[in-house]
Amino acid sequence: MESYLLAAASLFILCLAQTCYGDVLFSTLPQTLVVSASPMDGQVLKVGEDSIRVTWGLNQSFPEGTDAPYNEVKLKLCYAPISQEDRGWRKTVDNLSKDRTCQFTISHRTYTRITHNLTWIIESDVPTAVYFVRAYAYNSSGNEVAYGQTTDTKKSTNLFKVQAISGRHLSVDIASICFSAFALLSAVGFFLVERRGKNAAKN
Amino acid sequence: MEITGNAEESHQNKFALGVDSEHKATEFKLFSFAAPHMRAFHLSWISFFACFVSTFAAPPLLPIIRDDLDLTATDIGNAGIAAVSGAVFARIAMGTACDLFGPRLASATLTLLTAPAVYFTSISNSAVSFLLVRFFTGFSLATFVSTQFWMSSLFSGRVVGTANGVAGGWGNLGGGATQLIMPLVFDLIKHIGANRFTAWRIAFFIPGLFQTLSAFGIFFLGQDLPDGNYSQLHKSGDKHKDNFARVFHHAVGNYRGWILALTYGYCFGVELTIDNIIAQYFYDRFNVNLNTAGIIAASFGLANIFSRPGGGILSDVVGKKFGMRGRLWTLWIVQTLGGVFCILLGKVGSLSVSIAVMLIFSVFVQAACGLTFGVIPFVSSRSLGIVSGMTGAGGNVGAVLTQVIFFRGSKYSTETGITLMGVMIICCTSVIMLIYFPQWGGMFCGPSSKGTTEEDYYMSEWTSAEKEKGFHRATLKFSENSRTERGIKKVESAPTPTPDRTPNTYV
Repeated sequence: MESYLLAAASLFILCLAQTCYGDVLFSTLPQTLVVSASPMDGQVLKVGEDSIRVTWGLNQSFPEGTDAPYNEVKLKLCYAPISQEDRGWRKTVDNLSKDRTCQFTISHRTYTRITHNLTWIIESDVPTAVYFVRAYAYNSSGNEVAYGQTTDTKKSTNLFKVQAISGRHLSVDIASICFSAFALLSAVGFFLVERRGKNAAKN
Repeated sequence: MEITGNAEESHQNKFALGVDSEHKATEFKLFSFAAPHMRAFHLSWISFFACFVSTFAAPPLLPIIRDDLDLTATDIGNAGIAAVSGAVFARIAMGTACDLFGPRLASATLTLLTAPAVYFTSISNSAVSFLLVRFFTGFSLATFVSTQFWMSSLFSGRVVGTANGVAGGWGNLGGGATQLIMPLVFDLIKHIGANRFTAWRIAFFIPGLFQTLSAFGIFFLGQDLPDGNYSQLHKSGDKHKDNFARVFHHAVGNYRGWILALTYGYCFGVELTIDNIIAQYFYDRFNVNLNTAGIIAASFGLANIFSRPGGGILSDVVGKKFGMRGRLWTLWIVQTLGGVFCILLGKVGSLSVSIAVMLIFSVFVQAACGLTFGVIPFVSSRSLGIVSGMTGAGGNVGAVLTQVIFFRGSKYSTETGITLMGVMIICCTSVIMLIYFPQWGGMFCGPSSKGTTEEDYYMSEWTSAEKEKGFHRATLKFSENSRTERGIKKVESAPTPTPDRTPNTYV
């Protein structure tokens, strides 16, 4: 009996420890925040040129005191399902410490009750993909306690595309072609030198 | 005649290492750069290292490349398979090229012809172009064949296993070193101010330049044979320019080459597969971060610094005492143990035990590669190039097969795939039991009771017409030198060839 009690107590403490160490499950979070973003469904935005205007705040239909534990808010750019397909490194996992859906932070601020908005120019790190915006509310221990997002629960509406900078530059292209040509010409040169050496040995 | 005699005497004196009657080195001095033997050794392992760095330069930078090119896991898997499949035919072609043009020209040319694929990686902008550059870059792994051929041409039976093992092992090292080099180069370029999607592209110039420079080194500083280059020797009549059809016929007709090609697929092929999948395995199963996964992946390849050479040295040590039979037994034991540790690797669940098992597994699997090339130089004298090429190609076929069967799609979890691959290693390695040399024996049988000699075996590759013209002279010297494969006790007691015996044809 005592060993059972000990086991149960350990399990309970471990569960609390899990929560303390950030093993929050997304399915347990209430959607109390309202988030909207300027891009329209299907719009294509360019990195470095276009910006997103995000508006967020508490959904007023929730009772007074819902937002008491909210300490901070993080706005994140998240991959839509089509950009997660066959890409395990962007997988959605319920355990938020392992979840890879939202990899870019748009903004990180202290929570206040009023409705906020901000304009964010899309950073150069963001790759070409289809996205939506999500906001997480954190308590003072740094754990997620609520969320809001611009799309529906199936993540099928209000999705926008970001077009990244190519990374290719004319100078790199030209250097590639020049070095390649040099290598090929050298190979031909080697053959000619070898053949000349053969003829010299003959003589 | 006088002139020839004087020339031979001056040849004998001019080598820095001890040599045999073919002027092949009988000793291996690692820290010497003396021409032609040790210089060729260093040139060949460095250029092979460069080719390995280029071929596996993409995997450590994949987290960046997959975002830039919008790749899916299937695209990445296909590119990985393409990277190792290109070399299958390239290695056979390389074997032929070595037989016909000499390893120096063949490897320098191939290295230069594949360098553009590395440079063009910087321009790729889609899954298809990425797959194509990885495919063509992978052709450069055919320089393995020229490395082994070159070592077999310059080093005698006493040290050929060592020379082949160190050259092959230190070249394979490139697959591990690149997992450390490319991320460092990438970080440096980003630090200078490039955006990450540009930085990875610029990073590929480093392996490209390294490859180009090594080709120049080989061409200008290397020499095919102890007595000169193929082109010089062809003209002076010392080296007959062989008939491709005959060389090819003797290579594909020798069943031992096929058996060793199969078994090489389950040591070297497995090594290539692991190079492609191991970082992701540790990242996903044990939740280590990408840098840690890269370091673990690198350590698998870096074990090559001693494990493959160790296999080559072991082959020579065993060969000296027990002859070819000893070499075959050692190869079978070491490779089978590699399979056992592979089965274990898929089964262990803790990170530290898994790393330990992986390291032990790497030592056995890489030593088996070295041991294989302790046997290859003796399979054929005339067709050494193509036999080496077939074996090397078999290695890549093994890599393609294992990745396609066990590591593509979601049929098996990675750990199950690794265990099943271990079972396949053990099964395929057992065919070594079928190898039999009439002059030395096999794993379970002694030499033929008919008293077959080394000369009988190697001379059967030449027709009487060819022998009349004296084309077989190099092979004659080789047969004599290969008597060391009888082992210590038997060298005196085995039959020696008599001039009037008619040699039989051996399959």
